[in-house]
Amino acid sequence: MAVDVLTLSIVVAIYLLLIVGIGYYGYKKTKVAEDYMVAGRNTHPVVIALSYGATFISTSAIVGFGGVAANLGMGLIWLTVLNIGVGIFIAFVFFGKKIRETGKRLSAYTFPDLMGKCYNSPFLQYISGIIIILSMPIYTAAILIGGARFIEVTLSIPYETALLGFALIVGAYVVFGGLIAVMHTDALQGAIMLIGMTALLLLTYIHLGGVVAANTALTNMAHLVPEGLAAAGHTGWTSMPTFGSPIWMTLITTMVLGVGIGVLAQPQLIVRFMTAKDDKSLHRATLIGGPFILMMTGVAFTVGALTNVYFYQQSGQIAVTAAGGNIDSIIPLFITQSMPDVFVIIFMLTLLCAAMSTLSSLYHTMGTALACDVWGRGRECALSLTANKRGIMIMMVISILVAFLLPGSIIARATVIFMGLCASAFLPAFVNGITSKSPCVIGAKASLLAGAFVWFIWTVFVHAAESSVLGLSQFIFGVPSILSQPWSACNPLVIALPVSLIVMVLFQIRHNRRMA
Amino acid sequence: MFGIPDPYIWIAYLLAIGFAGLCVLYGLLNWNNGDA
Repeated sequence: MAVDVLTLSIVVAIYLLLIVGIGYYGYKKTKVAEDYMVAGRNTHPVVIALSYGATFISTSAIVGFGGVAANLGMGLIWLTVLNIGVGIFIAFVFFGKKIRETGKRLSAYTFPDLMGKCYNSPFLQYISGIIIILSMPIYTAAILIGGARFIEVTLSIPYETALLGFALIVGAYVVFGGLIAVMHTDALQGAIMLIGMTALLLLTYIHLGGVVAANTALTNMAHLVPEGLAAAGHTGWTSMPTFGSPIWMTLITTMVLGVGIGVLAQPQLIVRFMTAKDDKSLHRATLIGGPFILMMTGVAFTVGALTNVYFYQQSGQIAVTAAGGNIDSIIPLFITQSMPDVFVIIFMLTLLCAAMSTLSSLYHTMGTALACDVWGRGRECALSLTANKRGIMIMMVISILVAFLLPGSIIARATVIFMGLCASAFLPAFVNGITSKSPCVIGAKASLLAGAFVWFIWTVFVHAAESSVLGLSQFIFGVPSILSQPWSACNPLVIALPVSLIVMVLFQIRHNRRMA
Repeated sequence: MFGIPDPYIWIAYLLAIGFAGLCVLYGLLNWNNGDA
C-alpha cells in the first residue's frame, strides 16, 4: 500500500458519517409502506440516475471486468455499448416509462408484485419471489466477499471483521431507512464513483504519454500474447479475438450478451423505475445515466487493457503476469503502483462506494421479496414496515452465512449465473406483461419455466465453464460437456432466452386470436 | 484511429460514446415532456 492506513481510515470514517446522516434522513422521511418500498414514488431524477448506475456497477464491474479487459483486451468495450444502449437507453426510454406507469396503476411495490399484478396471477408473484430468494443471496455473497477482501487489504483488518462490519453497516441503513435511504446513499456513492473513474482515465493516459501513444504502444504488444491465449483466439489487446474462437465465444456470449442483456431483468434495477414521479423524471434521468455508465465500464475496460503498457514499461511483463496470474489483482496493483497517494484514497473510496451501493439494493430487494411476495403474500403484513424490516434482516443473515460457507471461486461464477437465470426466466414474460393489453398468464408461466429449465440443462450439461465444475455431466455421461466447441463455450442465456421468448410469443398470439 | 487499428474496436468506442450522447440528447429534447 502506498497510503498509510490512518489517513485512509479517517477518510472512510468521514464518508461513513455522511452515509449514516443520509440513512437517518431516509428513516425520518419514511412514514408508510410506499415510502419504504418504492421511495414514495417521488424521487428526484438525479437520484434515480445515480442510484440506478451505482446499483448497476459493483466492485466486480470495475475490478473484475477491468481485469478481464487486461487479459482479453479492448473487445470488452462492446459490453459498454450494450450497457448504455440496452441498459440505459432502451431500459429508460422504452421499459422504464411502461414500468413506472404500470407499477403506479396497479399499485405494485416490488418486482414480483408487479409481475403478479400484470398477469393477475399470485403464482407468478410467488415464483418470482422464490427465484429472488434462492438465487440473490449467492450474488449478494459475491458482493460481500469482494468488498470484505478489499477492506481487509486496504484497512489492514481481519477478513471476518471486514465482512461482518461491511454487511452490518449497509444493513443498518437499509433496514431503518428503506428505499429512500438506499437511493440517496446510492446517489452520493455514484457521485464519488464518477469523480474516481474520471480521474483514473485522465491520469492513466497522462501517465502513458497521451491517447494515441498509449493505444499504439498497446497495439505493438500483440506479439506478447501468451501462447495458450493466442491458440484460443487472442489476437492482441486492441483487436477482436478470432471470430468463433473459444475466447470470442466467451467474450461475446458470456460477457457482452450475458451481462449486457441480463441487466434488463434485474429486479433491484426494475424497482428504480417505480420510484419516479412521472415520465419527465425518467427523461431527465436518462441524460445522466448514459454518460455515467460510459465513465464506469468504458473507463474500467479501457484502463484495464492499458495496464499492459504500464507493466511492460515498468517490468517487461504483461499485466496478468505482473499480478501473479490473478486477474482480480491487476487494477488494484496498477492503482497502488502508478497513481499518486491522494488518488489511491479516492479510488479505494470509489470501490467501497461501488460495493455498498450494489449491496444495499440487493438487501432491499431480497427482504421485500421475502416479506411482501412470499411469506406475507395476500396477507396484511405484506405491506407492514416491521415485516419488511424483518425480511431484510433475515435475508442479510442468510447472505452473510452464504458468504462464509461458499468459496470465492464458486461465488464469482454464481454472479454470471444469477444474471443469466434472471434474464432467461423473467425477461420475455415481464416485457410482455407490461406491454400487452391482455397478457396471457399461461404463456407467462410456460415462458418462465421453459427459460429456467433450458437455462438449467445448458448450464449443467453443456456450458463447460459451469458443467465441468458441477460434475453432473461427467457423472452421468462421462464427459464434462455433452457438446463440443463452439457450443460448450456458448453461454446458457444465448440458448435459453430465445426459447423463453418463442414460448411467450406463441402463447400470446394464440391468446390474442381467442380473444378476437 | 487513435492508435487502434481494428475497426471493430474503434467502432465500438464510437457506438458507446454515441449512445451516451443519444441519452443526453433524449434527456434535453424531452426535458419538460411527461408531466405527472
